[in-house]
Amino acid sequence: MKGNSTSIVRNVVRVFALCFGLTLSVAAAPLPAEAVAVVDRLHAALLEVMQKAGTLGYPGRYEKLDPLIRKSFDFGTIAQIVVGRFWKELSDAQRQSFIDTFTKLSTATYAARFDDFGNEQFRHVAGEKLKKDRILVKTELVKSNGEAVRLDYVLQTKSDEWLIVNVIADGVSDLSLKRADYTSVLKSKGFDDLITDLNDKIAKYGAEE
Amino acid sequence: MNNKICKLLVLTLGFLTAGCASTPTVDNGNNDPGEGANRVVYDINDGIDRYLIKPVAQKYADYTPEPVREGITNFFDNLTYLNVVFNSFLQGKLNQGLSDVGRFAVNSTIGFGGFFDPATAWGVPKHDEDFGQTLGVWGMDEVAYIVLPLLGPNSVRDTPGLATSTLLNPLFYVSSVVIGPIGALGIINTRANLLEATRVRDEAALDAYTFTREAYRQRRINAIFDGDPPVENLDEFIESDGTEEGVLIIE
Repeated sequence: MKGNSTSIVRNVVRVFALCFGLTLSVAAAPLPAEAVAVVDRLHAALLEVMQKAGTLGYPGRYEKLDPLIRKSFDFGTIAQIVVGRFWKELSDAQRQSFIDTFTKLSTATYAARFDDFGNEQFRHVAGEKLKKDRILVKTELVKSNGEAVRLDYVLQTKSDEWLIVNVIADGVSDLSLKRADYTSVLKSKGFDDLITDLNDKIAKYGAEE
Repeated sequence: MNNKICKLLVLTLGFLTAGCASTPTVDNGNNDPGEGANRVVYDINDGIDRYLIKPVAQKYADYTPEPVREGITNFFDNLTYLNVVFNSFLQGKLNQGLSDVGRFAVNSTIGFGGFFDPATAWGVPKHDEDFGQTLGVWGMDEVAYIVLPLLGPNSVRDTPGLATSTLLNPLFYVSSVVIGPIGALGIINTRANLLEATRVRDEAALDAYTFTREAYRQRRINAIFDGDPPVENLDEFIESDGTEEGVLIIE
């Protein structure tokens, strides 16, 4: 009897050890280096435009960031998500028009917001694998006074390339924020007005300097 | 005493309005059944902010040296910290709660009434807890989004937190003529600290009401999960097209 209960305890311990070991191995699995490199490349470019913000000006920062942003983000997927259920109702031309406008707005936003340098640094915090082969790269933008803003990136592969599909800043997901905002406009005003509104935003970013 | 009556009135008004706004009227899929009324309150709040509070906060930010602003922010953060202590314990975070007690004691005394923050330097970090988060940790969902007069974005789950944060704020028990100016300074300082956030909102938002609602909701989820919320499941709205705008499903 004693032997039996000892063996039960041993088995329970084994199962626990196995589960714990598996959990550890999942948590410790390294993220694909190519995916992390996409985030690092974006951060390096952002630091560069911040450091040269004054000399580049808004147009220079836009020109510098545009090609990199185009090849770092999966704008096709992002567009489909932020337009929500309206995606089905859009023609191919409208879809393409939205993707183009949205891409420009993304670059314009980065070019406008990263407009000075105060010794900020990007730092990796951690990362994890998500469902459907997506990954989460957790980083921080640390200001010179030590204050940090969490910037997490969700990436997925498209044609063997890792691309960013979402940026989560201090817990606020850019995708769901835009999805809520844009679908509200689509519902109340329609597609043409959405494009007009987005183009207004792009123009305002450009006019700030 | 009059002050207390005024504060209770404001609080009661908040609850009553919350009650009205949360009466289910339209199920629009946004967890915002009182959207019509909420938008009206949002616009009134926005008008008061745009023409009164924001300009004063901007001047205050322009003319107040950064270290002074930091001290004032520390002071008001410390005043509200008993609410953090209370909710750390309610959420079963015993070690954090004890650390919060120590933080409040250190900053209230050695930190000259909270103007300085020696606790952070000594490795006793600041936490962000309130009763709405506690209810969230206990499993309550948002129920419905509401916009309160003057106070702005809120939810049925988060509204009771106004009572705990008011009752646990030492200022509530002070009867003095200085309470008015101190309260006003608190409002202006808080608004000044939000200038950057509202600038980003004004730059990015197409529909500021929806943008604010979504941002509020996500900030609250982030706070409930102490800065590490579950990640949204993107497939839920790619494959199903999403049923409505707004809330994304989290994994």
